[in-house]
Amino acid sequence: MMQRFRLLLTEAVRSLGANVSTTVAATMTVLIGMFLLGFLIGLSTWAFSLSNHYKHELVVKVFFNRDANGAEVNAVRAQLDSSPLVKSVKFVSAQQGLATMEKTNPDLFKGSVLPYNPLGPALTVQPKRGEDTAKIASALQPYPPGVHDVNYGRKTAHKLLTAAKVIDVFFILAVIVLLVSSTLLIGNTIRLAIFSRRREIEVMKLVGATNWFIRGPFMLEGLLTGLVGSLAAIVLLVLGKELALPRIMPHVIRASDIHALPFTLTALIVIGCGLVLGAAGSGLTIRRFLQV
Amino acid sequence: MVARLKPVQDSELQPDIPVTVVERPEEAAPPAPSAGAMIVFEAVGKIYEPNVAALTDVSFVIDKGEFVFVVGASGSGKSTVIRLVLKEIEPTSGKIAVGGRDLTRLKRSKVPLLRRNIGCVFQDFKLLPNRTAAENVAYALKVQGEGGNAIRRKVPEVLNLVGLARKMTSYPDELSGGEQQRVSIARAVVNHPPLLICDEPTGNLDPDTSVGIMQLLYRINRAGTTIVMATHDREMVDKMRRRVIALEEGRLARDERRGGYASE
Repeated sequence: MMQRFRLLLTEAVRSLGANVSTTVAATMTVLIGMFLLGFLIGLSTWAFSLSNHYKHELVVKVFFNRDANGAEVNAVRAQLDSSPLVKSVKFVSAQQGLATMEKTNPDLFKGSVLPYNPLGPALTVQPKRGEDTAKIASALQPYPPGVHDVNYGRKTAHKLLTAAKVIDVFFILAVIVLLVSSTLLIGNTIRLAIFSRRREIEVMKLVGATNWFIRGPFMLEGLLTGLVGSLAAIVLLVLGKELALPRIMPHVIRASDIHALPFTLTALIVIGCGLVLGAAGSGLTIRRFLQV
Repeated sequence: MVARLKPVQDSELQPDIPVTVVERPEEAAPPAPSAGAMIVFEAVGKIYEPNVAALTDVSFVIDKGEFVFVVGASGSGKSTVIRLVLKEIEPTSGKIAVGGRDLTRLKRSKVPLLRRNIGCVFQDFKLLPNRTAAENVAYALKVQGEGGNAIRRKVPEVLNLVGLARKMTSYPDELSGGEQQRVSIARAVVNHPPLLICDEPTGNLDPDTSVGIMQLLYRINRAGTTIVMATHDREMVDKMRRRVIALEEGRLARDERRGGYASE
């Protein structure tokens, strides 16, 4: 077993060394593909969390009449609390509402003192998903007793959700396109590398090598190429993260809940994809050359 | 078997030495075919896509220990016979047996085992270009799972046998055509296969070098290995006077015990 593995390893390393130009070409292809993949994973997960951040800012506001009593407010609150779409419901008293308004629109309160508080109590409803604000609002139609208005910023919510959807779809498509194209590109490079050695494979078959005896070193070679290529891609990504990001980030919106996938995870995905693409690419490509 | 042969002396492979087998008929007598057939073709037909008949109803039996020439013009079906024996292709009809095994019923997964029992020598040598002579020979042993010690022992032995003891570390492009063919013969016989298939082994070599190669093959045959050789080399076939199977347009035209290249 040990001897078999040693043979496999020496055969793989020997042919890597003997075919330097194709090895370099294949490694570079993996490097480029995996760098772009890592970059896109980072960018897209960041964009997803950005769109989620905005979606979380979407809330439904339920305004009550000034004279609404506690029972009416509690009834609406209970109804909202029991809804599976709702994450949390916060009670805003008339005084709190006025204080917030004074804070956000100080101009309105300049130079004059209000004779009385025109606001009634309100409920701020945080949905589980930003997309559900309209549904929550429509569940309160017709208005229950005591409710004056239900507002979920229809136009803003619509624009925001559309923008978020475009971002999501764009990045999902980009990742798919990238994965497919880099698979094809890497597959093609491996195919060229193996094609240039088809005579070698023919000879191996003729002296009685089994398919796995031939395929083994090729797959190990692909595995090593994939490993080296994706490690190099990770080095580039680390450089980009450490050098370029600090210069870009200050100009972009920042919030504690907006972040890309943890880098370690991205790196693991990149290495995994590199290894699988390298080994499986070689193993699959060689199949058609084994029909001797 | 082969390992017991004494090494070829350089003088023995000098081009100006005629093929001894012709001049000393008592040595030329083929070893009596041992019991049992090595290759059996029974009404074999092969049609290549879309509709090219390469072989039609070809039947013959080659006994163990025989030296057989398969002759015929280009396209007569010689290479098809060889590819069928190696199970590179399947016959369209008929039955083929090699070493008692029915090839038509042999599973694809068993083909490598079959090929380890058949040595192959080709016109274009088919050596691995990035391996030395010794490594090329060693590869055939590695394929069979031979250990390092056995490889270190057998490779010099067989290269010595073909007269290349001093070229073990040379790469194929550093060797002459005749030397490359001898490496390929060494690779073919290092496993002591009972059957050696040669597809125009002298096709790329000058006549003098060809003589050396034929002497080597003759010696291998004398040690008991069955040899089937497809060839265009009229002079060689006429000199050797061995069994000749002649194909014409895919049909068996002639099967003579001691034939010449053309019918007499």
